[in-house]
Amino acid sequence: MFEQLISMVFTTSFGYSIIRITSPILFAALAAVVAEKAGVSNIGLEGIMGISALFGVLFAYRTNNWLVGVLGALVVGAFLGLIMGFFALKLKTDIILAGIAINLMGGGGTIFLLYLFTGLKGNTASLTTPAMLTPRINIPLIQDIPVLGPILSGHSILTYVAFLLVLLVWVLLYKTATGLQIRAVGENPNAADSVGVSVLKIQYIALAISGALSGLGGAYMSMYYSQSWNTGIIAGRGFIALAAQAMGQGEPVGAMLSSLLFGFASALGNKMEGMPGFSSYLVAAIPYAVTIIGLVLYAAATIKRIKKTRK
Amino acid sequence: MKHKRKFMFEMIRGLAAIVIAIAVAFVLILLSSDSPGTALECLLIRPVFSGGSLNVKSIWAILGRMTPIIFTGLGVCVMFSANQFNLAGEGTTMLGGFIGGLIAIYIPMSAGLHPAVCILAGAVVGGLAMLIPAIIKVKLNASEMVCSLMLNYVIMYIILHFLNNTFADRSKGATQTYPFLETAKVTKLIPGTELTWGFLAAIAATAVIAVFMFRTRWGYAIRMIGINESFSKYSGMKVGAVIIASQVIGGLLSGMGGAIEALGRYNTFLWKELPGYGWTGMTVAILAKNNPIMVPFAALFIAYLNRGCELMSIYAGVPSEMIDIIQAVIFLFFAAEQFMAKTRQKIVVKDAKEDMREKQLAAEGGNA
Repeated sequence: MFEQLISMVFTTSFGYSIIRITSPILFAALAAVVAEKAGVSNIGLEGIMGISALFGVLFAYRTNNWLVGVLGALVVGAFLGLIMGFFALKLKTDIILAGIAINLMGGGGTIFLLYLFTGLKGNTASLTTPAMLTPRINIPLIQDIPVLGPILSGHSILTYVAFLLVLLVWVLLYKTATGLQIRAVGENPNAADSVGVSVLKIQYIALAISGALSGLGGAYMSMYYSQSWNTGIIAGRGFIALAAQAMGQGEPVGAMLSSLLFGFASALGNKMEGMPGFSSYLVAAIPYAVTIIGLVLYAAATIKRIKKTRK
Repeated sequence: MKHKRKFMFEMIRGLAAIVIAIAVAFVLILLSSDSPGTALECLLIRPVFSGGSLNVKSIWAILGRMTPIIFTGLGVCVMFSANQFNLAGEGTTMLGGFIGGLIAIYIPMSAGLHPAVCILAGAVVGGLAMLIPAIIKVKLNASEMVCSLMLNYVIMYIILHFLNNTFADRSKGATQTYPFLETAKVTKLIPGTELTWGFLAAIAATAVIAVFMFRTRWGYAIRMIGINESFSKYSGMKVGAVIIASQVIGGLLSGMGGAIEALGRYNTFLWKELPGYGWTGMTVAILAKNNPIMVPFAALFIAYLNRGCELMSIYAGVPSEMIDIIQAVIFLFFAAEQFMAKTRQKIVVKDAKEDMREKQLAAEGGNA
């Protein structure tokens, strides 16, 4: 059985599915990175993803155009980020609680909103048309490389956006004035304030960017991965992204690597599901369990490092 | 600020938050229902009155629905008081229900003892599960929040595995266990209603937790750590142990609630997803401002709204999930420290002026 598993892992289709599964987590993990850098914990990622996934489909349906849907999801995500900002920064609701409220909204609230706008209950499968789904892109040259080609080429356009965003978020954080301000606010708001940086403004900006990024993650889910919106579509990916941010030490590249780890765990789970002797339910638990284990290992390593430097 | 005025202000602020939430509900109803009048009546009045008389059955149902969310609400109160954002109330509720259910099916006992053992076992397992995020937090300083969120899913899938592959009653079309033994059921407080003895247990738990939080050293330590962890550490409290204890107590309570709900409301274990009581418990705790004594009232409010939304979906076609939007709005405004801050400022200024005048008068009186 082990050999069977190994032979499954070393296939191009397995590599392809890792990237496919990683993409939405990567969007949300980058969202978590930006927010955390500015010193705000955005635990509403899960809810923002769900709500913008729904609005993405609705916008795309109205216009029969996937690009409008994706942009709509992005705007809705940014807007939700700002709403969280309004409550957390202006009205001083604890940011964790504001996040939980957004998640409540993303749970049952989306079912209600769907009914409100379309009269449908539970899913949008009946609305889907091919024009609403984000297109797959075959990358010239790369697609012809053996092994790598079939793994890297032929993904949704959003997948490439996600990996490109790793670079862009890094540039934003480390090569722009705004990024410097975001990091300054996150590390020491008082110091940032004393040199004339508007802490509130920067945190609003960070939350809006964070919301927009998770909005893209939502769009990927409903307009590519599941091909329609349904209840429970996000299934904890926003929460996993939080863990990816923590394990990735809050850095874009680190978050990408840990997102890939979860992608790997999920893809492995999906492969094992079809094999006799494996419970599909236990397999479904793997990515979440891996997250806890990863968190523990990372935290243990951090503590060891701190002890070493003290010596 | 004077105590009485401050209390009044807090009351008004809370009411304002609720009014805003209800206003949002009105707008949503107007948008989504063909008969908004009926919908509103269903939401606000019909849970208690219908057709001009008391809707007794519905009232018992509301009290019945309070039971699980009082337990999860209390658990959240204890954990949030210690500033532990442990969100595994969902998973531990499900786990408590599952373990309680298994004992109710497979281990025969006498009628009085059986439910007690089931509930206790559910509670203990819930508490043990919480050790995972708690110990990881204390020993490794990793976020209990992320860990507990993941734990919910791990618990759910493990339960689903055993439910489907080990304990399923294959003679039934739906996935469920064999029926609970009659001796194990949490019996009805009033026959023919949804109200079980579990409700009284919930009220008793409220009293116990209130005494624990306000009248014991551990309760004091929990609250102190929530207010200022460093100070607690330097004043010699065992911060780690208290943090672990607060989360274990949270797990005990939600596990207990889960077992009582499973054995009181159903004949077999059939939860196929996280039951949602954990999240609702958070709304309850926020409404109660982490004060255990207020938890049953907050739970009553939420259960009432829940029932209203249910009736609304039956009679007026408005999806019952509207409750989540209402809850989210209440949640946001209730937890907003700066909501109506200007009014509070005015009260503070007024109080200060009065104080000054009194002092002045007293000083003049002394001179004369």
